Amino acid sequence: MNIICAPNGIVDIERSGQGITDIVKSGFRDVLLDVSLVCSPNELKNLGKTDIKKNIRKVRVSNNPSELHNSLIPMLDRCSQAQLNTTIAYAPYLERSSKDECYNQLLMQLAEESIKACKSAESQAIIIRPLFSGVKQEDVWLENKNYYLHLARIASDHNVMILLENQCRDLNGHLVRGICSDGKTAAQWIDRLNEEVEEERFGFCMDVGVCNLCGQNMYDFVLSLGNRLKAVILRDCDGHSENALLPFTCVNKAQPITDWLSLIRGLRDTGFDGSLILNFSDTASSFSPILRPELMKLAMSVANYFKWQIEIENLLKKYQSIVLFGAGNMCRNFMKCYGEEYPPLFTCDNNRGIWGTEFCGLEVKSPDSLLELPDNCGVFICNIYYREIEKQLLDMGIQNIEFFNDEYMPSYFFDRLGDK
Amino acid sequence: MMQIGVQTKNVVYDIHPEEGFSVLQRAGFTCADFSLNSYLLNTSLYQLERNGFFDKSIHELEKYFKPHKNGADAAGIKINQMHMPYPVYVPMANKELNDYLWKEVAPKSMMICAFFGCSYIVIHGCKLAHFLGSEEEEWKRTEQFIESIAPLAKDLGITICIENLYDSIAGHLVEGPCCDVIKAVERIDRINEKYQAEVLGFCFDTGHANLVGIDFESFITGLGDRLKVLHIHDNDGAADLHQIPFTFTKNRENLASTDWAGFIRGLRNIKFNKVLSFETAPVISTFPDLMKLDTLSFIAKIGQYFSGEIKL
Repeated sequence: MNIICAPNGIVDIERSGQGITDIVKSGFRDVLLDVSLVCSPNELKNLGKTDIKKNIRKVRVSNNPSELHNSLIPMLDRCSQAQLNTTIAYAPYLERSSKDECYNQLLMQLAEESIKACKSAESQAIIIRPLFSGVKQEDVWLENKNYYLHLARIASDHNVMILLENQCRDLNGHLVRGICSDGKTAAQWIDRLNEEVEEERFGFCMDVGVCNLCGQNMYDFVLSLGNRLKAVILRDCDGHSENALLPFTCVNKAQPITDWLSLIRGLRDTGFDGSLILNFSDTASSFSPILRPELMKLAMSVANYFKWQIEIENLLKKYQSIVLFGAGNMCRNFMKCYGEEYPPLFTCDNNRGIWGTEFCGLEVKSPDSLLELPDNCGVFICNIYYREIEKQLLDMGIQNIEFFNDEYMPSYFFDRLGDK
Repeated sequence: MMQIGVQTKNVVYDIHPEEGFSVLQRAGFTCADFSLNSYLLNTSLYQLERNGFFDKSIHELEKYFKPHKNGADAAGIKINQMHMPYPVYVPMANKELNDYLWKEVAPKSMMICAFFGCSYIVIHGCKLAHFLGSEEEEWKRTEQFIESIAPLAKDLGITICIENLYDSIAGHLVEGPCCDVIKAVERIDRINEKYQAEVLGFCFDTGHANLVGIDFESFITGLGDRLKVLHIHDNDGAADLHQIPFTFTKNRENLASTDWAGFIRGLRNIKFNKVLSFETAPVISTFPDLMKLDTLSFIAKIGQYFSGEIKL
C-alpha cells in the first residue's frame, strides 16, 4: 500500500522548496501532483476577470492551458531532487457550486494537459472529476462517457490510468450526494468505460471526505467498488462543511465524527492495496509554518496507522504461532474475530488472581511463561497500556512484541466486560 | 387532490381524542398517522426501561383505543398509517425485554393497526451494523423480525413499511438502515414473493434522507409502487428536527436547502397517489398552543401545494 501526501496547505507552488522538504523530512516518499496548485477552482471561477491584486505577469493556466506543464516544472524539479515520487496526479476542478456549462471545454483542455504532464512526472494515474457544471441530470452519464473516452485516448498514449472520484452536489449550500456517490453506479461507470476502451484504463478514487459529508455507509461503498478502487483520499471534516482536516482531529465528545470503522472494515475486506492519499490541507494551513514540520510527522504516523489497521491480519500471518498479553475486552474481541483463524497458544496477564483460569477458551498464564516460547512466536499485547507492557516485556528479554488493537474490529459483542 | 395527513402526536390526546381529530379535520387534513410509538417511548427503551402499556390484552387495548377510533370516524379522518413503537431490538437489553418487543408489542401493534382499519404500519429496522459488522448482517436481524410478523400482516391485510433511517457517529447523523434503494427493492420484492402478498412496503422519510444527502428523485423513482407511505418533514441537514418543509436555507440567496423539487419529481415519476403525510409533531409543540390550528392549516396547505405540483 502506497502512502501519498497531498501538498495543499504545505507546498507553495511559487516557492515549493520548504514544503517539499517538510514532506520528505516527515517520511513521505510520494506527493500528490495536484494540478489545482497551478490552476485553482478560484481561478476558474474568476475566468476572464482581471485580477488587479495579484502578479499580473504570472501566466494564468486557465487562459493558456498549454502552459500547465511549464507551471509545474519548478515543483517537479524539487520533487525530483528530493527523490519524492508523484505516483498520482489530480486534474484541475471547479467549485461545487458552479452551475455554468461554459467551463466544460476548458476542463477538457486542462485534463488533457494534466495527463500529458503525468509523463514527465512519472505519474501512473490521474484523478479527474466528472463534468457536472451545467450538465442536466439526464445527460450526466452520456456527457461524461464522451468526456472520459476522449481523455482515455490521451491517457493510453501516456500510459496513465484515469481515476474517477465520488462527488457531492451543492444544493443551495447543502452538500448532498452527487455524481458517482453511489458505489454501485460508480462501479458500473468504470466497467462500461473499460469495456469501451477494451483495457483497464479507468479506476476509482474514493474521497472519504465526500462520503462523510453525505453520511454514507463507507463499508458498502468500498465493497461495491472492489478492486476498481485504486486510491483513497483520507481527510476529515465535520460532516457538514467541506474541509480537509487531519484524520481523527474532527471530534465530538471524545469521539471521531468520521466513520473510520466502516472505512477500515471495507478496505480490509476487499484487500485494498492501492494508494492512501492523506489530505489535511486545512489543518496544515491553520498551523504556523514553525509548527508544521511537527504536524507533518504526526500526519505520517496517522497514514501509517491506517495502513497498519487495514493490513492488521498480515501481522498475525507473520508468525508461526502467537500468544496474547491481556485477558480483558481486547483479548475477548481478538478471540471473537481472529481466534479461530489465528488461535493463540495462551494468553497471559499481570493479574496473578486469574493465572491458571480460562478466558475465552485460552489458558491465562503468568508473564513468565513468555520466557519459554517457541521460535517465531509473536507476542501480541491486547491491552491499551501498550508502552508500559512493552517495556515490561523488553525488560524480560522477550522478542517479537507486537501491538494488537480492537478499535476497528470486523464485529463486536453487544456488551463490554465490566459494563453494568 | 391527494389525501393529506399528519401525525396524531401533540394533537390527539387520550382524554377527548375526538377533539384532536376534529382539529385535524378543520385544519384541512383527511388522514392521520397514528402515533402508536408514543405509548412506548424509544428513549425509555434505550434506558432499558418499559412501561406496562402493552401488557394489556388485545381486547383491553381495543377498548382503550375505541374513543380514538370513534373520534377519527366522527371527524371523517382516515387513519391511513401508524408507527410501531421502536426500536424493535435493543442491543444492550436482556432477552426478556427483546422478547417482549418482538412477541408482545409487535403483534399487538399489528392488531391495533387492524382495529383502526389502517393498512400501513411503519417499523424501524435494527441498528446493529456497528456490532455485526455490516448492513447486510444488520438486515438479517431486521428480516427475522419482519418474518415474525409477516404472517399476521398477511392475515390482517396490513403492509409493514420499512423506513430509511439514520445512525449517529459522535453526533454526526449518518446513513442507517434502509438507505440503499436497490437493496430495499430487492428485499421487499423477495419477501412479498415469499408470502404471495404485499406484506412489505417502504416509508420514505424526507427528513432522514436530507440528513444523509440522499437524492430524493432517484430514490423515490427507484422505489416505484413499493412506496406506500411518507414521512414529510424538514431539517437543517444536521439534526432530525421534524420541521415544516421549506423552512431551511443555507445560502445568501435564501433558497431551500432541502430538495423539494426532487421530491415532487420523484412522486410524479411514480404517479404516487397515496397520502401526503407529514411527520411534523415537533412543530406543534414549538408554536404557541393558540396557533395550533393555524400551524396545522399551514402544513395542510403545503400538502395541497405538493399535491398540485405532483399532479401537474
